[in-house]
Amino acid sequence: MKKAAILFILAGAVLAAAPAAAQTDPEILEIIDEVDRMMQGASSAGSMRMEIDTEHWSRSLEMQVWSLGTEYSLIRVESPAREAGTATLKVENEVWNYLPRADRTIKIPPSMMLGSWMGSHVTNDDLVKESRLIEDYDIVISHDGDRDGEDVWEFTMTPRPEAPVIWGRIEQRIRKRDRMPLWAHYYDEDGTLARTMTFSDIRTMGGRTIPTRIMIEPADGEERTVITYVAIEFDVGLDEDFFSLRNLRAHQ
Amino acid sequence: MAWRNLWRNRRRTFLTASALSFGFVAAVLMMGFMNGMMEEMVSNGTEVVTGQIQIHAEAYRPERSIHDTMGGREGLDVGALVAAAEAQNGVAGVAPRLYGGGLVSSGDETVGAVLMGVDPEREPRVSRFASVFVEGGMPGPGEVAVGAALADKIGIAVGDEAVLVAPAADGSTGNDLFGVSGIYRLDLGGFDDSYALLELGTLQDFLAMDRGRIHEVAISVDRVRDADPVAERVAVAVAGLSPDLATEPWSVFLGQLYFVVSLASAMNSVVAFMIFGMAIFGVANTMLLATFERRREFAVARALGTSGVALGRIVVYEGLLLGVVALAAGAALAFPLLAHIRANPIDLSAFVGTYSFMGSAIRPQLTVEYSFQEPLVSAVALLGTGIVSALLPAWRAARLPPADVLADR
Repeated sequence: MKKAAILFILAGAVLAAAPAAAQTDPEILEIIDEVDRMMQGASSAGSMRMEIDTEHWSRSLEMQVWSLGTEYSLIRVESPAREAGTATLKVENEVWNYLPRADRTIKIPPSMMLGSWMGSHVTNDDLVKESRLIEDYDIVISHDGDRDGEDVWEFTMTPRPEAPVIWGRIEQRIRKRDRMPLWAHYYDEDGTLARTMTFSDIRTMGGRTIPTRIMIEPADGEERTVITYVAIEFDVGLDEDFFSLRNLRAHQ
Repeated sequence: MAWRNLWRNRRRTFLTASALSFGFVAAVLMMGFMNGMMEEMVSNGTEVVTGQIQIHAEAYRPERSIHDTMGGREGLDVGALVAAAEAQNGVAGVAPRLYGGGLVSSGDETVGAVLMGVDPEREPRVSRFASVFVEGGMPGPGEVAVGAALADKIGIAVGDEAVLVAPAADGSTGNDLFGVSGIYRLDLGGFDDSYALLELGTLQDFLAMDRGRIHEVAISVDRVRDADPVAERVAVAVAGLSPDLATEPWSVFLGQLYFVVSLASAMNSVVAFMIFGMAIFGVANTMLLATFERRREFAVARALGTSGVALGRIVVYEGLLLGVVALAAGAALAFPLLAHIRANPIDLSAFVGTYSFMGSAIRPQLTVEYSFQEPLVSAVALLGTGIVSALLPAWRAARLPPADVLADR
């Protein structure tokens, strides 16, 4: 679930199709809007691999992913067999899981939104919050120009006073020439780096240029989650009805 | 001589001894009440869930990571561990436990919960879960028992099925259906609204853990006050099973409760000190007056050749004897009273409700706890009071100039 949301949102440098935010510089909104237009109404279907390394175990999951814009996504695990059929549906701010063994659908309660998604370093909260960056944060360009030989923007996002977010600050670097995100740094409320998201293997897949590898690393320890796109197609003609609880349960 | 002197003015002796006796009774009762309250707090704090002794892997607390099972990833021989602990003198019950965090769901409602894997046969000897079922009973294989508040929140009843979801030890997501075997109500903290009990092996399977993996062994002891020495014996007995076991008495893992109880015990000493402090001045006053009344008597004794030191000694003996008499009377009064209150606790529920404090429910009644130490301390304090309060009068008596007194000068 995270995949689509993270990928598109961050790829678009906060491209969410949200109404323009009052506090954010029009130039930034323009950049975002530009990326947004690229993604606008984009539906996609693809498959990805998620590799999780923790102190105690490592594992790899193969999943199928469908998404529509940043508000809808559906992810279904294909392997390993023990978990095949496990699926996650994200619609706007809500997340449901389908559990094949119990044959039940459960909605993730608010108290568990910070819990790990599928044992990875992505939380349920990440899934729903990525699409709200522009509403929850004031965004300024903290750097505009050359970094490591690339012309980039660096955005600094600080949460609005009432925003229901857990980060104290997010920094993000965007490559100017193709609007590709390179990394995002997440800081906690004390200003300490809490985790890093790195985007790489930027290439054309399904007719669009996207970062096909996203690595999420908590700042403490050796753990990481790597999400890799195996294949993706865009404009596959999905509409909102596809992202239903019925489809969440459907075995294909 | 001192003894005969005491009987010469019986009213005075009686009054002084009464003051001392009363002080003794008051001190013993006060401390008895305090001890009663503390014992109640400690037993409630430890008998409901935790037990008085717990064994964990050293790394387990305070993070309580699901991976920090005893004996590391391989686990250990749970049967041998339980048997070793059970064999120790003073151990009443031994219960192995496994914990996980997850979701309990029914219909559209889902709540987060601590999943607690227990041995349904052994658990009742350590905790109260088994005896507080509102409906149904402890979970068997493939079943779950939940607290009343949790059951209300997600709307499940005995016989229904609940969906459990939890991150397993191998990183996968455990999910399955469990029949609800029972609903309990502990009336304590978060246990009723956020705990779900499963049979130990069921939870091990659910969390993808081997049979040898547990997080905790909770132990109840025969007498709460023996928890420390019993913990030491258990620690020695289980040490061979795994190198990283930490065996701790409740005073360690319920540090806050222990602090409060220690504080109360220190207060006991202060109370005793104050009671006998007041008694010292009261008795010294009486004895001084008596000495003044008896100036002529002392002067005659001195004139007849008794040394000042001998005279002083007699007065001190009088004080000591007074203490002994008072102690006998006080004990005769205090102990039946203690026994009576212990048998019939004073009910204060008309004034206050049950109060839950640091995981320990305090019932609104005054009870007392026998203890050897406090009455002994009080008795020593009482005798000391008798002697100390006689010192000044004795000194005065010894220094009386006989001629002047006899001449009424």
